[in-house]
Amino acid sequence: MLRTEEMLLNVGPQHPSTHGVFRLVIKIDGEIIKEAKPVIGYLHRGTEKLAENLQYTQIIPYTDRLDYLSAMTNNYVLCHAVETMMGTQIPERAEYLRVLAMELGRVASHLVWWGTFLLDIGAVSPFLYAFREREMIINMLNELSGARLTFNYMRVGGVKWDAPEGWIEKVRDFVPYMREQLEGYHYLVSGNEIFINRVKGVGRYTKEDALNYSLSGVNLRSTGVKWDLRKDEPYSIYNRFNFDVPVHDGGDAWARYQLRLAEIEESLKIIEQAVEQFPAEGEILAKVPKIIKAPKGEAFVRIESPRGEIGCYIASDGKKEPYRLKFRRPSFYNLQILPKLLKGENIANLIAILGAIDIVLGEVDG
Amino acid sequence: MLGLAKGLKYTLKQLTREKVTYDYPNKPLPLPDRFRGIQKFYPEKCIVCNQCMNICPTECIDLVGKKHPDPTKKGKIIDTYDINFEICILCDLCTEVCPTEAIIMTNNFELAEYSRDRLFKNLEWLDENDENVRSVNKP
Repeated sequence: MLRTEEMLLNVGPQHPSTHGVFRLVIKIDGEIIKEAKPVIGYLHRGTEKLAENLQYTQIIPYTDRLDYLSAMTNNYVLCHAVETMMGTQIPERAEYLRVLAMELGRVASHLVWWGTFLLDIGAVSPFLYAFREREMIINMLNELSGARLTFNYMRVGGVKWDAPEGWIEKVRDFVPYMREQLEGYHYLVSGNEIFINRVKGVGRYTKEDALNYSLSGVNLRSTGVKWDLRKDEPYSIYNRFNFDVPVHDGGDAWARYQLRLAEIEESLKIIEQAVEQFPAEGEILAKVPKIIKAPKGEAFVRIESPRGEIGCYIASDGKKEPYRLKFRRPSFYNLQILPKLLKGENIANLIAILGAIDIVLGEVDG
Repeated sequence: MLGLAKGLKYTLKQLTREKVTYDYPNKPLPLPDRFRGIQKFYPEKCIVCNQCMNICPTECIDLVGKKHPDPTKKGKIIDTYDINFEICILCDLCTEVCPTEAIIMTNNFELAEYSRDRLFKNLEWLDENDENVRSVNKP
């Protein structure tokens, strides 16, 4: 009988498949993971503490750097929290621009996930296709806000820029193009037998586990819980759009793969309707004071980011800086289930399981 | 096997598509007017109101004003104006608050330098940085 010894293996923090600076210390017995210990904090910048010394407008560029794959939702959650405290009414046109920007960001974010997830498990070409389409979205957002990733686009009370000329038409034309490409993605990957065998049944957890670990977004919906804040607690103008919340009861990486692609489709539906309903003219910024002071008190708002529920808590003592600011960062919460999922798994499944959770380290570390 | 063949067909179809990459840095990258690059500074427009310095989230702007040389005129004029591009995040807030549009974003984004000291840009440098200046600065 051959005797094997346990071994400690460090994965990361500089490892391309950990999507940033995530470190995982795993104890392996041959090929089987006995124990996994995530080590986080390599990208910690103390955004919440920094915010205590910044005016509300100054915090917006910092939120761009949390979940840098969908910075628009982060911009929104902060502005939404301050607006809730101040009771500001947002102009129609600004709301539509916000929704368009956020949904385009969601599509871009899911495209990055799709490309990198397949890259992680060994398929190179989907990454190139995903980035080709994502580049178009990034260019559109660049035209709108003046930056490719760190948009700093939303302001308390509205948005900074109006849509440039011809931008809405560009977005309108993008929707059918993206639908066609999405069909191509299904052709390329979704029907591939090798891929299906690779992800089916991998990283499976139950509905109870998901709820106990307070997972959100696709990670929760992949276990059959139909919970999407855009539908269940509509914020902004999401109640005006007709879209579905895709759910799957597989609970594995295959379910999460299908859900993310289905979500791109739903986002395209929202974009299509928003372009149709887009008001011809109007204000883009509500009447707000030059120096924003949230009234004394506290507020917590939550919205649906591509990764799950992102929340923002503000405690204010009536000054121009918040007394305390806290972000509920979905990647951080979704990552907590990882040690449980990895226990007893084959080491080859590690990257597939981690990839399927879809984390952004900027957000995990805060 | 059918799934594999379908995937291969998709890949082959892409062969005939137009290429999407740019010949950068041999050709300049096309950028929209709103793009946020290194700032251009107009010393003659500046009224030393300190708003850009106060709004900067990373505190990378430093400025000093002096009395107007003409004693009949009120107010101050700019003496030194420095931006530290080691910490500037190009967030655009300085150009947003400037009442006289003395500071404006340009499309120049190539900031890489061999030495950290060279990332420290002074008034003369920012004044000379006058290519690809944004044409519409405020919404």
